[in-house]
Amino acid sequence: MAQNIDPVNGSNNSTAMKDGDGPTSATKHQSTSKRLQQELLTLMMSGDKGISAFPDGDDVFSWIGTIIGPQGTVYEGLVYKLSLTFPNGYPFTAPTVKFVTPCFHPNVDTYGNICLDILKDKWSALYDVRTILLSIQSLLGDPNNDSPLNGQAAQLWSDQVAFKKLLLEKFQDTKS
Amino acid sequence: MKVKIKRWGGVAIWKWNGVAVDDQCSICRQPFDGCCTECKYPGEDCPLVWGQCSHCFHMHCIMKWLNSQQVHQLCPMCRQEWKFKE
Repeated sequence: MAQNIDPVNGSNNSTAMKDGDGPTSATKHQSTSKRLQQELLTLMMSGDKGISAFPDGDDVFSWIGTIIGPQGTVYEGLVYKLSLTFPNGYPFTAPTVKFVTPCFHPNVDTYGNICLDILKDKWSALYDVRTILLSIQSLLGDPNNDSPLNGQAAQLWSDQVAFKKLLLEKFQDTKS
Repeated sequence: MKVKIKRWGGVAIWKWNGVAVDDQCSICRQPFDGCCTECKYPGEDCPLVWGQCSHCFHMHCIMKWLNSQQVHQLCPMCRQEWKFKE
């Protein structure tokens, strides 16, 4: 366990101590940031269409992601920003993912909270930023109307013309 | 011609059996032939393990995953119940 007292970790310790659980969290901290750096590398190489993400400033534990609404859905072409916050236990615990751009959707509430099983009880250590963003992108066009966070959106979903009209109105409001 | 060897250096390489050289552990995203993110040196101190479902991880990584699971201990890859392959 000699790596627990690696002096290189010294700069990380201040954050670890703030969490209140001593030097062991410094190693966790380091292995989480190691994986996040790896993810950033593969994400930048992958060239997925319609999704992107990058750390928000110098902090590798908080990212800003962007999703473009998928083709053939009412969200087509709309651009949404999301925040991803990674706990020290990532990838063993899920990150907190929220819409920063207000999103009118049956499974998103007015604070941007998202109801998605893979971010809660179906989380797996194999998921990453890329698969999370792809899942949310596909959730846009394929909502789960049985457990809505936004009742109005869930009710209106069956009428796609009316839904799109209200969606675009609300989307324009967020820009002005 | 007579050759007199004054000294030599030995070089050896190794790899784990059963995984491709360029494969990586899908939990920590480090190569199988490297070590998990919390170890410094690869090898016997950071071994690989297989589940009966045939999925393979660094032992440290899968143990951390299983310990973080409250109810069922499932393979993070296929969600089958995790049982170590004998």
